[in-house]
Amino acid sequence: MREIQLPLSQTQKVRLQKALEQLESLSTKVNSDASVIIADSIHVNHEDGVLKGHGTADLNGEVVATLCGVVERVNKLVYVRALRSRYKPEVGDIVIGRVVEVAQKRWRLEINYNQDAVLLLSSMNMPDGVQRRRTAVDELNMRCIFEENDVVCAEVRGFQHDGLHLQARSRKYGKLNRGQLLTVPPYLVKRQKQHFHHLEEFGIDLILGCNGFIWVGEHVEAKDDMIEDQVSQSDSQVLFPNKNCVSLEEQEKNYTILETRKYISRAANAVRVLSTLGFNITLEIIKGIIDLSLSMNLDIHDMLGSEFCVLVAEKEAERRSSMKKRR
Amino acid sequence: MVGLSLGETHFIQGGIAQDLRCDGRKRLTYRPISVETGVIPQTNGSARVRMGATDVIASVKAELGKPSLLQPDKGKVSIYIDCSSTAEPAFEGRGGDELAAELSNALQHCLLGGKSGEGAGIDLSSLIVVEGKICWDLYIDGLVVSSDGNLLDALGAAIKAALSNTGIPRVEVAAGTSNDEHPEVDVSDEEFLQFDTSRVPVIVTLTKVGRHYIVDATSEEESQMSSGVSISVNRQGHICGITKRGGVGLDPSIILDMISVAKHVSEQLINKLDSEIASAEADEES
Repeated sequence: MREIQLPLSQTQKVRLQKALEQLESLSTKVNSDASVIIADSIHVNHEDGVLKGHGTADLNGEVVATLCGVVERVNKLVYVRALRSRYKPEVGDIVIGRVVEVAQKRWRLEINYNQDAVLLLSSMNMPDGVQRRRTAVDELNMRCIFEENDVVCAEVRGFQHDGLHLQARSRKYGKLNRGQLLTVPPYLVKRQKQHFHHLEEFGIDLILGCNGFIWVGEHVEAKDDMIEDQVSQSDSQVLFPNKNCVSLEEQEKNYTILETRKYISRAANAVRVLSTLGFNITLEIIKGIIDLSLSMNLDIHDMLGSEFCVLVAEKEAERRSSMKKRR
Repeated sequence: MVGLSLGETHFIQGGIAQDLRCDGRKRLTYRPISVETGVIPQTNGSARVRMGATDVIASVKAELGKPSLLQPDKGKVSIYIDCSSTAEPAFEGRGGDELAAELSNALQHCLLGGKSGEGAGIDLSSLIVVEGKICWDLYIDGLVVSSDGNLLDALGAAIKAALSNTGIPRVEVAAGTSNDEHPEVDVSDEEFLQFDTSRVPVIVTLTKVGRHYIVDATSEEESQMSSGVSISVNRQGHICGITKRGGVGLDPSIILDMISVAKHVSEQLINKLDSEIASAEADEES
């Protein structure tokens, strides 16, 4: 998603500035020296011996930053983590990617990383759910599982000699349908215990990928194995030959119902608002924004307007200050 | 171009069919439009227009030249569009040239009228200094800074805003010059003439997806289009130009329906745009 600049009126500018200053004052006390820009000096204890890492340089015996970002310290290592950069994978991350190529025994996925990620045929569950050895027939049918431009959810497995490997060994991973994919800067998505969210009251699924890809779609029930066998068998025979022959009338019957679509759009716009403001994207904040827009009886499209964005910033400042007092 | 999965494609088409697009808009709703004028001080007039994530800049430069022999009583205007390489990966190198040429041609058809000069959004006669000898040449340049669909509407709006921001220096012609000689002129540094932009049209692009059509399509929605029709309408409700994109043919009755829809949409768009331009000019002065 390209960055959208808000067309703010004069009063909105003042209100937004005030809210951002309040947010900054709340966080400044704890992390006053964490964020740096180029040529800022980084305070280190020279007697302990310091390892100067990525984004730092020695200048007249002083450690200075060569990047804009946040200072991280790991034992004696001091480095600067740039915020506005491509996604840096870590083992165990939940990511969402788009298939760019179907190669021999593998799919290549674009996950907002320097290179494409690899998802091996042997690293994922087969659609029929049976645990068995992959055969040549499975290789020939790889495009029936994922084809180019499909959106796939997976987990980072690690770095191998031929690149970054993903795996999709659970029911919750796999192809994502009936929804929309949003792209936000990866630093807005924090690593958490749970990245799959089912908003029951809205009937939608929300997947916050660590790489900044966020999926908002219609809820899909995780079926158990017995039912899956029968459904997938009938699906594999009926769906693929008829894929391109579905008429327009039949296609319209399969559309997401309007009520669910409204909630999907509202959740997607909540993510867009957070991305525009540069706020952390978590389930709690997304739900708060959805509830705020619902309580105001706001039209879904007006969530992207300047007035609502300023209001969200003010509410976030209130929320964090109240959390501060509670501690 | 955006690559979309079947699920996403189906979701977008369903949204258009059910009149609830992915960001909550209806079929005939525009994204928020913001206008900024006077962004390039070296030009006679300039403007920047944002529609959602689409971002374009237009500028107008004026210089004295000689009128065309075919139309000695009219000035000259040319339009050139460039696509910045950073707007989209596909624009790298010469990737944007084809789209830029297409946009330039469409804008010329929509804004400058026919070969006779009649129907132009700009009164070309007002650009004449000395008939047959000296006139103003206007060079309108557009730059696509960020591309998220609906470039033609955004460029049309930016050019309209840039023209309203344009100041043409006042020209004094020295008296007593013989008719056969080239007249001597004195270009003022202090006094400027403002354009009358009330006749400059806006462009409304209707993109057909399935059996419906939408305005202000995003990149994802444009990737699902079968065809698109761009109609420029002026304040009086007159059609100033029509161009068509996409490979699928259209039934004439659909085109007539699109024209009436475009006229209806353009009323709101012109009012919205005029108020944005007025507030942008006020901001620039302060």
